[in-house]
Amino acid sequence: MPGSKFVYVTYIRTTPETLWKALIDPEFTRQYMSETWQDSEWKPGSSWKLMIPDGRVGDSGQILEIEPERRLVLTWRNEFKPELRDEPVTRLTYELESQGESVKLTVTHESEKSGSKLIDAVSQGWPHILASLKSLLETGESLVETRRWPEGL
Amino acid sequence: MTEPGLTTESTVYVIYIASTPEKVWAALTSAEFTTQYFFGRLVESDWAKGSPWTLSRTDGTVDVRGVVRESDPPRKLVVSWIVDGPEKGKALPESIVTYEIEVAGEGVVRLTMIEAHPTPIPAHLLEGGRRGWPMILSGLKSLLETGKPLAIPVPQPKEA
Repeated sequence: MPGSKFVYVTYIRTTPETLWKALIDPEFTRQYMSETWQDSEWKPGSSWKLMIPDGRVGDSGQILEIEPERRLVLTWRNEFKPELRDEPVTRLTYELESQGESVKLTVTHESEKSGSKLIDAVSQGWPHILASLKSLLETGESLVETRRWPEGL
Repeated sequence: MTEPGLTTESTVYVIYIASTPEKVWAALTSAEFTTQYFFGRLVESDWAKGSPWTLSRTDGTVDVRGVVRESDPPRKLVVSWIVDGPEKGKALPESIVTYEIEVAGEGVVRLTMIEAHPTPIPAHLLEGGRRGWPMILSGLKSLLETGKPLAIPVPQPKEA
């Protein structure tokens, strides 16, 4: 199949309720996603923005599917890096599945474009962010390098 | 060129752990740790280049064996991976598993696992590793960061 796709699975000792909140709530995302937060009404068709702490819009899109505590699908277009901005819009899917005392979280970020630079860039970032989310929920502390927006970016 | 339906694609899993390279190395190479996150299996080897290594059950049944190809504690470990025991012959031909351990910021380690297939294999044989490694390495991270293993219900193998 042509296109680009990144898939990452992690297991987190938490509940689907807490994990859902951590994926959406600015108070959580700021701690593990480089101080960014998401601006959306979280309804099908709502606009979605990933906000950089200095007020710029990092990425933008639209909510395609939302089923709280289970599934979120949104479109994702880069807004702040000239070399990525012109790529076709990508799609991000979060799937949450309760497994015993843990939740299996599957993150899929895909593009119709083969060799997408955007998918390549996020593939470097997601493992760090998702590991930090897991640390935050299991230990109360996120990973140091994901707590601040990188200077000069 | 690989025949249709066969692949030499690697499986790569990257995880960041609030720990030190020494502790991550110990968690990968000591049975005391692996029994807590590697589906209850224990590893055994002296981890010198050329030495044999095994992954076995607590009753002694060996599931995987191989040879240590490269050993650079606490940075890099490369082992051959040959399925033995009850699953022998049903599964993968010899694969190569590499662990790379790097410091990634203050008090954080990046662990990269690469499962490589020098012999072309049917693509469906990649599924076991793609399902298993996220469970195993999520469990390793939880164990090192919280001191408690992560209880993930183990999927029962399907009867052939």
